[in-house]
Amino acid sequence: MSAPETKAEDAGSKDGVALLKVEGLSKTFHGKAGDVKAVDDVSFEAEKGEVVVIVGPSGSGKTTLLYLIGSLERADEGRILVSGEDICAPGADLIAYRRKRVGFVFQFFNLVTALTALENVALPMDISAAPSKVQGKKAAELLERMGIDGRLQRTRANRLSGGEKQRVAIARALANDPEIILADEPTGNLDSATGRTVVDILVRLAREDGRCVLIVTHDESILEVADRAFHMADGKLGARAKE
Amino acid sequence: MRAFRRGFRSFRRHPAANLVVVLLLFVCLTFSLSMLAVKLAADSQTKAVKGRVGNYGEIRSSSGFMMSTFEREREKSEAERAREARGMSEEEELEERAKTLVPEGLADDFSRQPYVLTYDKVLTAGVSVPGIKNVELASMLNLSKEIKEGAAASGITEHTFVFEGNTNGASASEFLNGSKRLVAGVFYTYADHREANPVVLVEKNLAEENGLEVGDTVTALINGERGKSAEVDLEIVGIYETVEAERQSQKGSFATFNPAGNKFFAPLSVVQVLNDTPGYVELGSYYFDSVDHTGELSSAFAEMTDGSGRYEFVTDQADYEIISDPLEKVGKTSLIGFGGALGACALIILLAMAIIVGGRTRELGVLKAIGATDRQVVAQYAVEVICVCLVSIMLATAATALVSQGLGDWLLSGNETDRMAEEGEGEASGYAAMMARLTERNLYKEGGLFSTPKSEKEEVELDVVYQGRMLAYGILILLGISLLGMAIPVAWISRLRPARVLSME
Repeated sequence: MSAPETKAEDAGSKDGVALLKVEGLSKTFHGKAGDVKAVDDVSFEAEKGEVVVIVGPSGSGKTTLLYLIGSLERADEGRILVSGEDICAPGADLIAYRRKRVGFVFQFFNLVTALTALENVALPMDISAAPSKVQGKKAAELLERMGIDGRLQRTRANRLSGGEKQRVAIARALANDPEIILADEPTGNLDSATGRTVVDILVRLAREDGRCVLIVTHDESILEVADRAFHMADGKLGARAKE
Repeated sequence: MRAFRRGFRSFRRHPAANLVVVLLLFVCLTFSLSMLAVKLAADSQTKAVKGRVGNYGEIRSSSGFMMSTFEREREKSEAERAREARGMSEEEELEERAKTLVPEGLADDFSRQPYVLTYDKVLTAGVSVPGIKNVELASMLNLSKEIKEGAAASGITEHTFVFEGNTNGASASEFLNGSKRLVAGVFYTYADHREANPVVLVEKNLAEENGLEVGDTVTALINGERGKSAEVDLEIVGIYETVEAERQSQKGSFATFNPAGNKFFAPLSVVQVLNDTPGYVELGSYYFDSVDHTGELSSAFAEMTDGSGRYEFVTDQADYEIISDPLEKVGKTSLIGFGGALGACALIILLAMAIIVGGRTRELGVLKAIGATDRQVVAQYAVEVICVCLVSIMLATAATALVSQGLGDWLLSGNETDRMAEEGEGEASGYAAMMARLTERNLYKEGGLFSTPKSEKEEVELDVVYQGRMLAYGILILLGISLLGMAIPVAWISRLRPARVLSME
């Protein structure tokens, strides 16, 4: 799969401000066994329509980096600029940021098992106070786009297969139409064929919708779809595995 | 609204877990609500009992004084008595006749005490009505010559009847307590008492046997006097029947005589004339507002009589205690049970929510990760908790209606058994107890000294009925346990770091 370079360039360079810019980001966890610097002075940029892949072994800090970007963790140092707005700054509206600007896709899907696929997708919209009619319609459209339609939409999340769950999770991440999709090991819990499908969907989100998709994984095969790729080890973002 | 919808949906989607919590809460809530219903019923009935029992008292000659008077008289010989009588002035004679009576002034003065609501004055006397035969008394006197002679010495013949006088016929205790009932004519009134109108009420059987009707006249003799001046013509203004005697006679128990047929009711002032004891009454009878003021009234009475011991102020406080003590014990027991069961409810909801929320931390993490505020998540869980509590309390309320009466009866029966055992242990024996029983006099409200006391004492009963307050308490309990149940999600949600739970396998 080749990256549509023009789109990335258009999006990224229109006003000279990167969609996502990470500068000197650090995070240390303090534990009984001692301090662990999970993210150590990480800087990079990503533009609209780009697929950014960060590979690295378990414990390298890539998930922490993703959570920092998603505002689920607080950085000790550094800045995260989203369209030039620093989400690490005091007073930043992180709730609105999580609702509108980022969508998460997790390795373990993290669907609400008591809810149906449709309800799971509608949940972020419900929390953002979107009108009920809009919620149902948009959730159904997103699920159809992910290849989940008909009866499956009304099936409880715990009765879906792994691939179906991950596609529902992607649909949920798209519910509020965010600019950035953060995917944490999206294929980690799937067989290779299903994993491939999921990756294709994520790539499509970048290419067709112009979203910035940031994937962290230890699966190096995903690198081939990346517009930008980084290697992460011991909290440091290393040389690009693929440019 | 959205949080409500999400919470309610979540409640419906976790039926198994919620059912377990609902069942546990249902059991504890049923118990606590039943205990509460019993407590409220016991309190309410204790209050109601206060309104009708324990608020009666009467002033009369004390038992001790009467006993000592009796002992003194017994020691005197006939000659001594005759000598004393000869040497007495008119005032001394009156005082002698009225020595076991109460000065009317004392009875009137006591009626001015605060808390006294109504009062009456009563005098009963044996009075001779020569034209009519007291069948019951005649049959007793004819049992032996000794009895007849002894009675004659005391002025009792087969024409002697009991005259009960009070200030208003309708408020005579036996009419008030339902043991007697007017069947013809009218009651004498307070005006009759004030004006000393010579009117009288006659018993139905006595009237029938002697061909007496309303409007007829009977002649009675003033005690201790002779001749034409001793005669008082009494107009019959009403005829009464004795309810219990009538009932028994209908069953054939009294084929030949009616034991109730020996009593006349007349205005107090008339009976005072007939007994030749003007200004004296046998007792002053008072209804006051509540048993709670018995102590104050007793103190006031002691002050008025200088603690002489000649008169006594007796009340039906014991009757009140017989009823109220078990109710109060039931109230206390049910309060403890209520508290314990509520404590169990609190524990259940806390544990249940800890388990439920603990098992759904990933869901909490997801909600936070997709932008839910703590308030939104808490609201959702609050609705879920309220739904659990609401269902439990509704079921418990229904179950309470079924079991609370049984529970109340069970608690009451336990306390009744304890009380009877205590009474059995505390019962005195020997000569003193026997004398106490012999000298025991009934209260006027029970029928008076010369009447058969009304045997049906008020039974201790507990009617557990739903009161409006139950609903209010139910809502309070619902809010209380819901708030408590919410404490767990609130604490959990505020401490939860989504990044931790979302990366868990």
